[in-house]
Amino acid sequence: MSRDRFRRKKHRQTSEAETAVTYRDRASYAMDAQLASLASAGDDAAFTALVTRFQPAVFRWALTFARDPDEAEDITQEVFVRTHRQLGDYRSDGPLEAWLYAITRRAALQLTRKGKRRARLALTPAASPTRDVYTTDPGGRVDRERAATVIHQLFAGLPRRQREIFDLVDLQGLSPAEAAERTGMKSVSVRANLFKARKAIRESLLATHPAYGELPR
Amino acid sequence: MTCQECLSELATGSLREMRADSAVMAHCATCPDCGPLATALREREYDAATLLNNLHPMSNPITVAEKAGELARRRRVGKVAVFASGAALVLTFWAALFTTGFGRGLMGMDGSGASRLSTEIIPLSCLSPEQAADIINPFVRSHGSTYYIGHSGVAAITVRGTADEIAKSRELIVQFETRASCHTSLADKIREIQKAVEEASQPRDGLAPPATTVAPPAGDLVPPVKKQ
Repeated sequence: MSRDRFRRKKHRQTSEAETAVTYRDRASYAMDAQLASLASAGDDAAFTALVTRFQPAVFRWALTFARDPDEAEDITQEVFVRTHRQLGDYRSDGPLEAWLYAITRRAALQLTRKGKRRARLALTPAASPTRDVYTTDPGGRVDRERAATVIHQLFAGLPRRQREIFDLVDLQGLSPAEAAERTGMKSVSVRANLFKARKAIRESLLATHPAYGELPR
Repeated sequence: MTCQECLSELATGSLREMRADSAVMAHCATCPDCGPLATALREREYDAATLLNNLHPMSNPITVAEKAGELARRRRVGKVAVFASGAALVLTFWAALFTTGFGRGLMGMDGSGASRLSTEIIPLSCLSPEQAADIINPFVRSHGSTYYIGHSGVAAITVRGTADEIAKSRELIVQFETRASCHTSLADKIREIQKAVEEASQPRDGLAPPATTVAPPAGDLVPPVKKQ
């Protein structure tokens, strides 16, 4: 009898939690949709609110695709330019976050492609700055340099999809199903990419183990 | 669990989902090699995630929003400008085609008739159609111009081209047709050959009679004998 009561109580708690999460998400989606609607109608304040709300998230996503935080800033700016132009196309049936993520991916890929073309120009002495631009925030600069090192160490040599999936699942904490939904990939592909990315990233550390040589490849 | 099994699990498994009571963690707790490795892997990913997740953009969101709005407007204007330029370019091109002589000639709709194609049959009295074709070939070269040679032996050539081309073709053919050498009949030629043969067959003093065969004169129109 008491066990049944316990089960019922637990079930009620779980369903309440689920309902609360769903309600919060719905409220959030509705607010985003309202902001998007106002911004697309030409309300600058609504667009500024939208940027303020999503800029950190977009910057975080852009870090995955960029070589360093400065490039991520450029990607972020480009994403909001595109958002401003395409807000009229946003259908409020899905979360704005997923829509913005898709824009971020496309913008990042295009900027990376352009960056490769411009890389040769950047190598010229006239293109390189004579001094460090970020002199106003030395602490922030240190963090950014560390982040650039982390990005380089973790992601160097990884294909774009693998680094994206690894970042979404292992660093940002999304489930593989959520990552699949976000990227538009199949769940099986997400798992395969995650498997390969983890193997590649952890390989250098695992190689220090004495039994690593006997590991089946 | 062996170290190899533990390593293969650590290589591809989710470190967040490995609980303390799992087989891998139980092995790592006792193994002097795997334990530090698992800890190092965890720390590495945790540090990376913390650093990247706590890194905030340096640019002010209000500035980003204003700049985004301005750039978007500028791009919209740029897009319209590019479209208008493209449309103007196409219009200019078409206008040039319809108004300039070169364009009208290119489209074959010149009002003066210089570039309009017409067809004319030029009769031949002396030249063969092939010979006439060889003569006019370099002059019938514009777009759509051509000439036809009949296969039934009719002594004429049909030229299709502009008025200038047809006039030039006619002039050239007439030039060749009016030459005296062209009008020597076949009978006259045979007579000339017979005469030459007879002269050659006359015995000369102290000389052996020459061979009966005589090479035809240069430029003769007698066709060569086909080999069987």
